[in-house]
Amino acid sequence: MTEALLLIRRSLRVALRQPAAIIPNVAISVFFLFVYNAGLNAVENLPGFEGSYLAFILPVAILSAAVGGAGVAGQELVRDLESGYFSKLLLTPAHRLSIVWGPMVAAAILLVGQVVLILVLGLIIGLHSATGVPGLLMVVVFAFLWGMAFAGYAAFAALRFKNAAAAQAATLAFFPLLFLSSTFVPLEFLDGWLKVAAIINPTTYVFEGMRAVLMTGWDWRDVGLGLLVVVGTATLTGALAVREAVRSTRLAR
Amino acid sequence: MSSPADRSIVVENLTRCYGDLCAVDSVDLQIDSGRIFGFLGPNGAGKSTLVKVLTTILAPTSGRALVGGHDVVSEGHQVRSLIGVALQDVGLDPLMTASELLQLQARLFGHTPEAARDRGRLLLERVGLDDVPAEKRVGAYSGGMKRRLDLALALVHDPAILFLDEPTTGLDPVSRAEIWTEVRRLNRDQGVTIFLTTQYLEEADRLADEVAIISRGHIVAQGSPEELKREVGQEVISLVFAEDEDARQAEDVLGQLDGSRQLAGRELLVYSAKAAELVPSLVRRLDAHGLVLKGLSLAQPSLDDVFLRATGERMEEGDDSHLGEKVEP
Repeated sequence: MTEALLLIRRSLRVALRQPAAIIPNVAISVFFLFVYNAGLNAVENLPGFEGSYLAFILPVAILSAAVGGAGVAGQELVRDLESGYFSKLLLTPAHRLSIVWGPMVAAAILLVGQVVLILVLGLIIGLHSATGVPGLLMVVVFAFLWGMAFAGYAAFAALRFKNAAAAQAATLAFFPLLFLSSTFVPLEFLDGWLKVAAIINPTTYVFEGMRAVLMTGWDWRDVGLGLLVVVGTATLTGALAVREAVRSTRLAR
Repeated sequence: MSSPADRSIVVENLTRCYGDLCAVDSVDLQIDSGRIFGFLGPNGAGKSTLVKVLTTILAPTSGRALVGGHDVVSEGHQVRSLIGVALQDVGLDPLMTASELLQLQARLFGHTPEAARDRGRLLLERVGLDDVPAEKRVGAYSGGMKRRLDLALALVHDPAILFLDEPTTGLDPVSRAEIWTEVRRLNRDQGVTIFLTTQYLEEADRLADEVAIISRGHIVAQGSPEELKREVGQEVISLVFAEDEDARQAEDVLGQLDGSRQLAGRELLVYSAKAAELVPSLVRRLDAHGLVLKGLSLAQPSLDDVFLRATGERMEEGDDSHLGEKVEP
């Protein structure tokens, strides 16, 4: 356990030494929040829409921050692979799970910082949480876990391609996940292929879980399903990343 | 830390292939505890691959290797706790400082925070980096400083067996000499078994108790540097011509003379117990056949001659003569 904490701390420290990799990500998420809220808040007036559009769109800003935040984990692994430090860590008694998950957890922790900032800005411009502060904390938990899920995928891509540009390009796969969903309007308003895509897309259930606590209350069906999806996806992508680390280095046991 | 009695390395019929290409092919080695073993070969001969297998980074394709008595495949964890490794490409995070790297490494090997701090300070002093500003990130270090820090990292847990993969490639002569001094000290004072790969003949000659020469994945010669050189012959006459063809003709012309011969491009080497006595008759005979010499020298055999005799080729052009010229900034 100590080694995991040591490696997470190291990843955090190194990531914070490159603020240029984090600041644009926060900026673009805040930009999304303001632009989508200003441009699309007329959705509030559509029959069948209940609640505030700000609370509806806030999870989109948060999950877009998660996309960029996850990239941090991939970039760090690529840097470690390129510098050879990854091999150095593999030669210590540290468990490989800690070595691969260290950057992922660090990326998710950094994401929490960004999410808190977005939430504070949201509160300033009039966000009201239907479940109060505990609900806001639940949003942070969702963001952390979804950040882990994305970071697992980014780490997998980094370990597979061992190349910064390719690992970065692989994270483009996040965008369909983010936008082929109930991103801008509720699921009921969607129709045709987009509705099918949204139902298949796990991101939809993360949105629904966050929106439940922000807009309606502790709807445990939505929240529980959302949590199940984020925990399941994070476990899956994290396992893929570890498997890739073992496979690509063909380590002896 | 503890001093395990078994510091040996045993390699049995070990092969490691990448697809169809076998970088290490049916290699056998036996290195006793407390020796400095020089593993010599040109670029791409398979040195680094063998080091990666012995240090548990790569699994072998077939065969077996024991490091400190532990199997590198089934007992990788025990092997890793015994060995220190400085790979050819130094593995340092450029965004961290030297003491951060050393302390993290020491903590991962189980030191307490206080012990890790002390260990870091001691090792920085030992590799001569204690006067570098503490906040300086490793990315700003010179090539020589990075090598020394990498060596310090390999020593964090007092390893019983140390693997150094081309520890001085690209270093200036001063840094190279410092690394050599430290390697000898570790071996003498702490009884550390040292497995050192190098493409510098001089390095193997000066440091190693025993040398193996690898070429294209195969061990082509093994023994102490003196034994190997004795096997080649007593003295070497090097005859250099303007063209490869001249050297080939000279080989025919000198056919009946005493001593054995080896052709290498436009150079012809003659090995003989009485080389000095042979020179006049040799020159006369070449002259009689109109073969013009561009250069002639007489020398004791080097490990390069051993390599040439074993493989029919010189080690990569200029590996020795370029000592100290390929200096990293």
